[in-house]
Amino acid sequence: MNVAQEHTTEHITRVMITGATTPIGRALIAQLLEDEKIRCILALGFETTQKAYAANPDWAESALRLTYQQCDLTRSRHVWKLMFGIAKELKIQAVIHMAQHRAAKDTGRKVHALNVESTKTLMDFSERHPTIKRFIYRSYGDVYKISAALPVLISEDHTLNLEPQAPQWIRDRVEADLTVCTRMGLSPLHIVVLRCAECLCPNQGSQLQDYLSSAVCFRPLGYDPMLNILTLSDMARAMKLALKTEKQGVFNIPGKDTLPLSRVIQLAKRQEISVPGVMLYPLYIARSLTTGTDFRYDMNRYRFHFSCILNGQRARQDLQYTPQQAVQW
Amino acid sequence: MTNLTHLVNAMAKRPLPDEWEECIQRLECKDEGHGYDLFGLHPNWIRTGVALLRFLYEKWFRVRSEGHMHIPPEKGAILASNHSGTLPFDGMMIYLDLLRHSHPTRLPRAIMDHFVPMLPFIGTFFARVGVVGGSRGNFQTLLEQDELVLVFPEGEPGISKPFSKRYQLQDWRIGHVELSIRHQVPVVPVAVVGAEEQMPKIAEVPISMFGIPSLPIPLTLFPLPVRYHIYYGESIPFYERYRPEDADDPEIVNAAALEVKAQVQDLINKGLQRREGVFR
Repeated sequence: MNVAQEHTTEHITRVMITGATTPIGRALIAQLLEDEKIRCILALGFETTQKAYAANPDWAESALRLTYQQCDLTRSRHVWKLMFGIAKELKIQAVIHMAQHRAAKDTGRKVHALNVESTKTLMDFSERHPTIKRFIYRSYGDVYKISAALPVLISEDHTLNLEPQAPQWIRDRVEADLTVCTRMGLSPLHIVVLRCAECLCPNQGSQLQDYLSSAVCFRPLGYDPMLNILTLSDMARAMKLALKTEKQGVFNIPGKDTLPLSRVIQLAKRQEISVPGVMLYPLYIARSLTTGTDFRYDMNRYRFHFSCILNGQRARQDLQYTPQQAVQW
Repeated sequence: MTNLTHLVNAMAKRPLPDEWEECIQRLECKDEGHGYDLFGLHPNWIRTGVALLRFLYEKWFRVRSEGHMHIPPEKGAILASNHSGTLPFDGMMIYLDLLRHSHPTRLPRAIMDHFVPMLPFIGTFFARVGVVGGSRGNFQTLLEQDELVLVFPEGEPGISKPFSKRYQLQDWRIGHVELSIRHQVPVVPVAVVGAEEQMPKIAEVPISMFGIPSLPIPLTLFPLPVRYHIYYGESIPFYERYRPEDADDPEIVNAAALEVKAQVQDLINKGLQRREGVFR
């Protein structure tokens, strides 16, 4: 896993995307549609077909290349029918899996089923599928452990956050990431895992976005860690590049913006109040209970104290990915 | 912290003496897009740091230094220094001295103990002026970026050693030599004479807060106005003798680390012989 392995692959022209109706899904589809070499996109989402097309009117114009299918990934029989039905008919060559439960406050078996079980199921079916050769998994920079004793610049072999007391949102993401990684080199699939930095965008499950949605942002007194933020367009571009690469492995995908938390709050035009760290947990619990917001301080405690920046060196070398677009504050 | 940033920006606008201002102007910081580098360094904070600590450098400790010609003008290098004085004023004085006297101006990136980033305000201030948390990954990143890295191989036992053990180097860690061989960069031995007497330690309270191993109790609340003498020795080009793969040979690395330690001890001894008094 430390060294991206070479893998000869044919040119990918037929792609299946899960989580197609999420902002990143839409951004990726838009970029793929711009590429004339991509001849077929099978987009999967939880929304009904009518709703999906109503929300994305430009999709109808590309009906010859884009097919949308409603799919509940937690129901394996449903996925099986789809994979060995329409996906087989369309001769899908690559799966880009990025459907994950977005809300951090939701927990339980169903959330785990979508985050982890569906990933296992998709991999199983992809391995048995006659035309699928490549599996690209969108993972998260949140899978890494953050601590004062660990490096600021996080490379792909950085310690993972395997703390049992970590919230399910993180535990599920680590488990799904490892599920995919353990098959690398053993599976007939060409596997690419993209561990993306936080993408500051609404409806994408971004904790930072939710944190900045308040007029007042509380910060731990005396700490101002460096953060790295990714844009939708860069994340979609990284996924597109992962379709083209002949390497398989784990790649960190950083964004163009590297700045301290205080500057993030300032650029978002929010009022900042620094309070002792011990007060932040009850404050944000109260905020979540009263306003229904999703930001959880216990999930972000370490990165609100210690700097963590994804090292994109491997992605630069093997995917030719460099972040290009800064956040439009 | 935004208010603090405003304060820093306001302080940064206050003029420094020309000689300091010119040095800061000459610095090349690796801006990641918002004025900060990966580790959080910002030029305005360097200016503020100089404004806050210049008095200590010029008036209080009246730092004298020699051997700046041994500092490599470019590319990565490791400065290995003795460590003492209960509070890390020695690191600050080397930092200011190199900023002021190295040609071309180079900013040393000091490696701090891993508990320092846990300290509120202090950890942030250190990060903004270029000090980096003590982990192997950070060290390697700095060398890959051709930075001048300042390390104290004695670590915490060095700074908190009892007064009776002054100017006797404690256990010398070897990681810096290993990285020097692996990254093919020279090691410059550095000796600080004077810091040992600034705040003699009289006791130690075992506490465990913010990861601090113990709380030293010094004889004086503030450092004594001892005179600092900083000596930069000839750089040791391990890369001429060893290949990068030799960094995995414990015998080679241990021998090389002992060589650095001996050079630092030698510089200390010579400095002590030349010193006319603690305050002179």
